Amino acid sequence: MLLKVLPLDTGDAGTQRCRLGPGLMASLGLRIGSPVHITISGGECLCTAWPRSDQADGFLQLDTKCTTKDLKAINFNNLSVSLEQIKAICSQKLKGVRVNVVVQCIEVKKHSSGFIHDLVKEMLRGMCVARQYIVDVSHLKTQVELILIEHIDPFCTDSGFITSKTSVNIGEIKTLNNYRCELQKSPSILLGGLEDVCASLKEILSLPLRYPETLQKLGLSYPKGVLLIGPPGVGKTMLVRNVVMEVSAALITVNGPVILGSRPGESEENLRRTFKQASEAAQEGPCVLFIDEIDSLCPRRAGSTSAPQNRVVAQLLTLMDGIGSDARFVIIGATNQPDTLDPALRRPGRFDREVIIGVPTLHQRKSILDVLSSKMSLSDDVDFVALAEMTTGYVGADLSALCREAALQAILRGSQDSQSQKIDMKHFLEALKKVQPSCLRSSIGLTDFKPISWDQIGGLEDVKLKLTQSIEWPMKFPEAFIRLGLSRPRGVLLYGPPGCAKTTLVKAAASSSHCAFLSVSGADLFSPFVGDSEKALAQLFRQARACAPSILFLDEIDSILGSRSDSRAPHSVQARMLSVLLNELDGVGFKVQERRGTQRESCHLEGSTEFQQEQQMDCQEVCNQDVMIVAATNRPGALDSALLRPGRLDQIIYVPPPDMEARLAILEICTKRMPLESDVCLKELARQTILFSGADLENLCKEAALSTLQEEGMDASSIKHRYFIKSLQSMTPSLKGQQIDHYQQLFTS
Amino acid sequence: MEAKSPGASTPCRKPVLSGSARKLKDNAADWHNFVMKWDRLNDEGSTIANQIVNLKLSKEAVKEADIAEDGGQTAITQRTGSASAAAAELEDRCSALVVILEKMAHLVSKMEKLASSTKGVCELQEFQQERTGVCAPLFHTWPVTHFDEVSSRLLRSYTEELALKEVIVGEIAHTCRSDLALVYLSCWLYQPYLEQSSTVQLESLLLETGHRPL
Amino acid sequence: MSKPALMSLHQALKRSFHSLEQNHKVWNSVLEECVPLMGSLGNLAEQLLALNGVQMASTPLARFSDLQDRLRCKLLVAVDTILDKLADKMCSLQKVRDAVGNQVTAAFQVYEQHADTLDLTTCLQRSAAAPSVADMLEWLQDAERYYRQQYLRRKALLQALKPGELSDLQNAHRRWEALATPEREDSVSDTLFRVSFFMDSP
Repeated sequence: MLLKVLPLDTGDAGTQRCRLGPGLMASLGLRIGSPVHITISGGECLCTAWPRSDQADGFLQLDTKCTTKDLKAINFNNLSVSLEQIKAICSQKLKGVRVNVVVQCIEVKKHSSGFIHDLVKEMLRGMCVARQYIVDVSHLKTQVELILIEHIDPFCTDSGFITSKTSVNIGEIKTLNNYRCELQKSPSILLGGLEDVCASLKEILSLPLRYPETLQKLGLSYPKGVLLIGPPGVGKTMLVRNVVMEVSAALITVNGPVILGSRPGESEENLRRTFKQASEAAQEGPCVLFIDEIDSLCPRRAGSTSAPQNRVVAQLLTLMDGIGSDARFVIIGATNQPDTLDPALRRPGRFDREVIIGVPTLHQRKSILDVLSSKMSLSDDVDFVALAEMTTGYVGADLSALCREAALQAILRGSQDSQSQKIDMKHFLEALKKVQPSCLRSSIGLTDFKPISWDQIGGLEDVKLKLTQSIEWPMKFPEAFIRLGLSRPRGVLLYGPPGCAKTTLVKAAASSSHCAFLSVSGADLFSPFVGDSEKALAQLFRQARACAPSILFLDEIDSILGSRSDSRAPHSVQARMLSVLLNELDGVGFKVQERRGTQRESCHLEGSTEFQQEQQMDCQEVCNQDVMIVAATNRPGALDSALLRPGRLDQIIYVPPPDMEARLAILEICTKRMPLESDVCLKELARQTILFSGADLENLCKEAALSTLQEEGMDASSIKHRYFIKSLQSMTPSLKGQQIDHYQQLFTS
Repeated sequence: MEAKSPGASTPCRKPVLSGSARKLKDNAADWHNFVMKWDRLNDEGSTIANQIVNLKLSKEAVKEADIAEDGGQTAITQRTGSASAAAAELEDRCSALVVILEKMAHLVSKMEKLASSTKGVCELQEFQQERTGVCAPLFHTWPVTHFDEVSSRLLRSYTEELALKEVIVGEIAHTCRSDLALVYLSCWLYQPYLEQSSTVQLESLLLETGHRPL
Repeated sequence: MSKPALMSLHQALKRSFHSLEQNHKVWNSVLEECVPLMGSLGNLAEQLLALNGVQMASTPLARFSDLQDRLRCKLLVAVDTILDKLADKMCSLQKVRDAVGNQVTAAFQVYEQHADTLDLTTCLQRSAAAPSVADMLEWLQDAERYYRQQYLRRKALLQALKPGELSDLQNAHRRWEALATPEREDSVSDTLFRVSFFMDSP
């Protein structure tokens, strides 16, 4: 038999009554006013049984004054209850209860705890309660909103009536906001790869927030402010949320730019209000005020910046100094540009602890990927180690975008053959093409090129080998380099006559070594503003370092840099660029915020395979922190000699004009997709094209095809040999013998 | 109160009072009577002051309403009629308040005489004590100078209060600010210069002189 | 067999209703006495507000330098006096509440004692002279809850009042009146009407 649940009569609201038909009451053995336990809509509810005034069976009305936490606040529309869900319980009078009280506002808590006790006692009188139940007294419209039953005495009973003789003991008084915060606590956010930072931040926070008395006893002052530094997307905000949740503090989040207002004084007012809110929350329990993007709020106070900005900085400083030492209140600021912060903010007493989160290392990337994919259905071929290797320079946000993109790919592909929705490695690889690491976005050097394989370049076998040795091997097999004590070259200079595939060679090297590739030429860097070009170059290096291992390709390096010996313009842009480049090449160290990951001691068992793998990953990580600089020029003589000494561009590779066999190979590659008449003899052509560069040869093939179309009309099916000869006659090689001699002598003498 | 208030033949512990004691006792009774009278006058005045403020404020409201709307002719004449009636009423009330104030001033001048007589008695008593070397209290415990202190303190507070009331009477019908009018009213009613302690002192004076049974 | 039980229960209910009737009168009269007190409380708050709003130095009262403090002190004393009086009233209300509460508990106890012999049908039986036992118990409980809630809310209101917070004080009488729940109050009166025959029956 099912009972239909009807809405409660208004008169019964707040009475803890449930209305049953008399027949049902009799069958359950209920007297008037005896307690019943009702299981309904995911929760439980305690009521007292009363007969319906119309004495009709088959209906149930209940007042949800005393329920468990998980009973959703709903109107029981179209709900039915079976008889098993209603149980008569026998209740005795309770000797005592221990309750927590939720009040409206903090003032009540501060001023009138004695009165609250009377109020609560009065409210509970006559109620039937059980352990861990919540009594909702908000309908009384007093300061008390909820009463949470913690313990009941006698301990052995499940539920009981509170009489005037029951002693009521109030454990904790909290505000409604606080209570709601606690309820809303979502399951902890999983953080991948941030364990160390997380632990250190937790340590910083938990001391002042949890054990202020101990610290006071020791006469210690603890940090009031923590500055989180890290590039965008490494998970600063998430880290704070997670840690705050773990130390169970209240979190007040403010975005720096939100504080700023247009009216004079508005920003300061907002700031003050935020601090007031936080200190109010701090009176109740530990509280963390998180100011995201604090750099927008507190730029360096310089004479030139506007006065309002300075006032905001001053206000923030004052407020931070004003935090009482007894307040359990910590401020966390997050920024990705610590250099732009006002230095006064970073002195002890304000933001006296700085936690730096770097771009994730290989290890961290793997654990981030593990965390991200924990809820995805993956097929077995997904190899996160490989994926982590490929995603250098990707931060947490990028990786999550990657996973999302991969999942999207799987859905798009999956819908076609409607198979089981599993994410394959190929989906990840596909996604990898679309998702760029965020440190590279907006970089001037970022180029989008089609991956080129070594086979697409004809000839030049020894150059290819050299390049593979100096670029690809150190990236791929760092442990071998370390084993043999081999230091990797810092930079490679490719020189040779124009059109001989220098750029293509570098692209091929980049694509075969799977690392970030930044490419710039002079035009990208030069700017009409003084100092801008140097800044752009330095920025380029910073970005390249951020996503190391990476290849930074400076095409036409002679146009970017001058030579210092060149006396024409001693203080020209070129000369300044050169000094920047030299600086960056053997730069003393990274800036602090460019740090990768954090130092970490591994405490794994020796010998396990996991350990070995990890060690290998570590090794790879350590060796791969450098940026490989590859420069190309066809005027090597114009370069400053300082640039060419060992330790800078130490690997100098001459890319010669193609010889006979190379030309043949080039021609073969160029005509691969052209239908050739059987009379075409590529060998013959190669013999005749002395001093032709690779670009010339490509052009030759194009010309031949064009003239075929011209002579034979649009429906020509193949290219005949004579058209090649014809185009050959009209073309002159772009290289000159003398020029080549010059190149060859340059570094050999 | 009246029943207990001092008459000619209040039973005392001492069958015969010396001259000074007799005088002091009578003075205490006078103080009590004056204070009672003052309180009565104050209540009356408070009622009148309330009426004045109400009249004044309603007149202001009417004026504002007149400015706000140009009603029909009849309405205006009616209103002006009522306004003139209200003005007469206001005049009447004000003069009533002035009468009360005069009575109060008269009362205070009587209090002055009382205080100076008390002072004289006290000085005399002191002189006698100095001469004879006897310094027994006249009644129960109070030294002679204490009577003088109490009476002059009472006089001081009533004089001050009277000055305040004079200002209030002068200004109450001339203010248009409701909050200021309210302050005048509460000043009149709650008599800020008559402290809680003066009531206590008067009561203890009555106790000491035997008007109130111990 | 259930007759004597029903009889004794009816007796208990009658006692309770008689007590309820008396106490209801007391309750209402006390509440009425509270209204002027709350009114003067609001009045005093208004006077204090006006006092705070006036710049004494710019009024004809300027020569009384300590007037503002003295008057404020006087007014606050007056507020205290009224709050004391209200506290007394609350005591009377509490007495009513407790009396009714005791009566209702007693009636329920009698019901509990005889619950084994009184089956539900008997309890639900209504007649021209007497409402059903279930109804009467419910009404009693309702009345008791009414007094308890009213007392609680009024007490909470007074407790929250602080002489420093004038606007609170000023609105107190409005909030006090808003606390009244006429429909609940009426239901108590209705109850008394409904049981009047029953109460008069021997």
